Amino acid sequence: MGDDVLTVRGLRKRYRGRRGVQANDGIDLDVAAGQVVGLLGHNGAGKTTLVNQVVGLVLPDAGTIRLDGVDAVAQPHLARERTSIQAQANVPITGLTPRRAIELVGRIRGGDRAAVRTRTAGLLESLDLGPWADTPAEKVSGGIARLTAFAMTVVQPGRLVVLDEPTNDVDPVRRRLLWAHIRDLADEGRAVLLVTHNVREAERVVDRLVVLDRGVVLADDTPAGLTAPLQDALTVEVDLPASATGVDWHPAVRPGATARGRAAGTVPAAAAAEVVRWAQAEVAAGRLERYGLTPASLEDVYVALVGRPHEAQQAEVAA
Amino acid sequence: MSALQQTLLLTQWQFRRQAVMLPLLVVVQAFLAIATVLGFGLVIGDPPPEQALYLATGAPTITLVMVGLVMTPQMLSQARTEGSLDWMRTLPVPRPLFLVSDLLVWTLIALPGMVLGILTGVLRFDVDLSVAPWFLPAALLVSLTAAAVGYGMASLLRPALAMLMSQVLVFVILLFTPVSYPSDRMPDWLRTAHEWLPFEPMAQLIRSGLASDAFSMPGRSLVVLLAWSAAALAGATWALRRRA
Repeated sequence: MGDDVLTVRGLRKRYRGRRGVQANDGIDLDVAAGQVVGLLGHNGAGKTTLVNQVVGLVLPDAGTIRLDGVDAVAQPHLARERTSIQAQANVPITGLTPRRAIELVGRIRGGDRAAVRTRTAGLLESLDLGPWADTPAEKVSGGIARLTAFAMTVVQPGRLVVLDEPTNDVDPVRRRLLWAHIRDLADEGRAVLLVTHNVREAERVVDRLVVLDRGVVLADDTPAGLTAPLQDALTVEVDLPASATGVDWHPAVRPGATARGRAAGTVPAAAAAEVVRWAQAEVAAGRLERYGLTPASLEDVYVALVGRPHEAQQAEVAA
Repeated sequence: MSALQQTLLLTQWQFRRQAVMLPLLVVVQAFLAIATVLGFGLVIGDPPPEQALYLATGAPTITLVMVGLVMTPQMLSQARTEGSLDWMRTLPVPRPLFLVSDLLVWTLIALPGMVLGILTGVLRFDVDLSVAPWFLPAALLVSLTAAAVGYGMASLLRPALAMLMSQVLVFVILLFTPVSYPSDRMPDWLRTAHEWLPFEPMAQLIRSGLASDAFSMPGRSLVVLLAWSAAALAGATWALRRRA
């Protein structure tokens, strides 16, 4: 795409040490202006390493990072001017109030005093932070601190906005406000890289999803593209009575994960009606507590992508 | 946005973050400065005039050096541990400005203690000071060098080790550095070592700035001090620029 803000090619980084970790192992990634790109992956998948290389906190072993026309590896200070980052850990702001912290960061990032003040007031209003705006930071909850960190990041945003788990600890109502804000950032023409492992929520705002595992990109597509292979399938979930030890599935169900008291499987759409009849009868007979059918979700795709190789590798190690 | 504006904004950020502790820090600093003067007074009794002048002018040096070498590394280690240093490093701010704003904060915290230490010394030992016009910039240079050395130490060493080092330094500087007494009382090897370390020049600069009638600043000491200052600033800046 012509208007890419962030272009990463062949990025490799290995942390030296007693147990050297190949954190990034040849990553390609693009984020265009106007796009929200979700970066999914387990803990240790290499997400934070990737982000830290973009802003020059970590030096790549190989590969290139172009950010809004500049070489981010050779000129990290120019990359930082073009990027604003919300880190995964909350920024300690004890001694400040949310309003003061947001305004100060806006001005440190080069914003004009009056403009920053106006924008801060707008953010506090739209994220519904008004009641806490002038409360000392040591007295606000984790969710409010998280939203403050978000506002600190976007009060004077760069061309690229990186958000690492922005919704952690945030209550459901403000979460929606937050997602709307993230979408707006992209619609204003910025590139947004959203690092998360909250697949279910990210699905609704992202334009593209990149799945990272052990430093490698496993998939890079739109949410629809990623779920396409599962389009003809539904997920059936059942709750078991306390006495039950397992499920005797209908033959059309491909069994999936079973946990204590719960089980799930995949059903071809064509067999859905039949499976519903079977499940209804099981409930009537007392062998199931209840059941539900849902369309296959991105989470299923994610688990299929990331879950399997791990199991396979563990099996290899065991063998 | 000019570098000066950005520095002042960063200073404001650091200052406000310390706001809760600030009064306590200033009080502790002042207490330490006064305690140094009174404590040495107890150890020595009623000193002859020249020695009194050493004690009265040594206390402010010790205050400045303590803040720089002990408080700065502790705060920097804390910032590293709590993650705020890494976050600040993602801001579009030239790396040396972090250093400058931190040094500014610590110098401001150290100043009241230094002034009180001087006043206490004058009252306790009944000495007459002759303050040189260049005393203030000289005090800033001492404070800056001490803080830069502390900063470099805290950036390069692991936080736990840096804390330990600063504890050792307190002891060494209080007793084994020719700050509050003339260097000819020391064994030769230690005197030679102090010809190359920054502490004696710091003491000489403050001493000759406060009692300019009685003492002068040797040119060689000034060169040693400036060299340490430049090296520590370069080292700390390098540490801030370094990428993992």
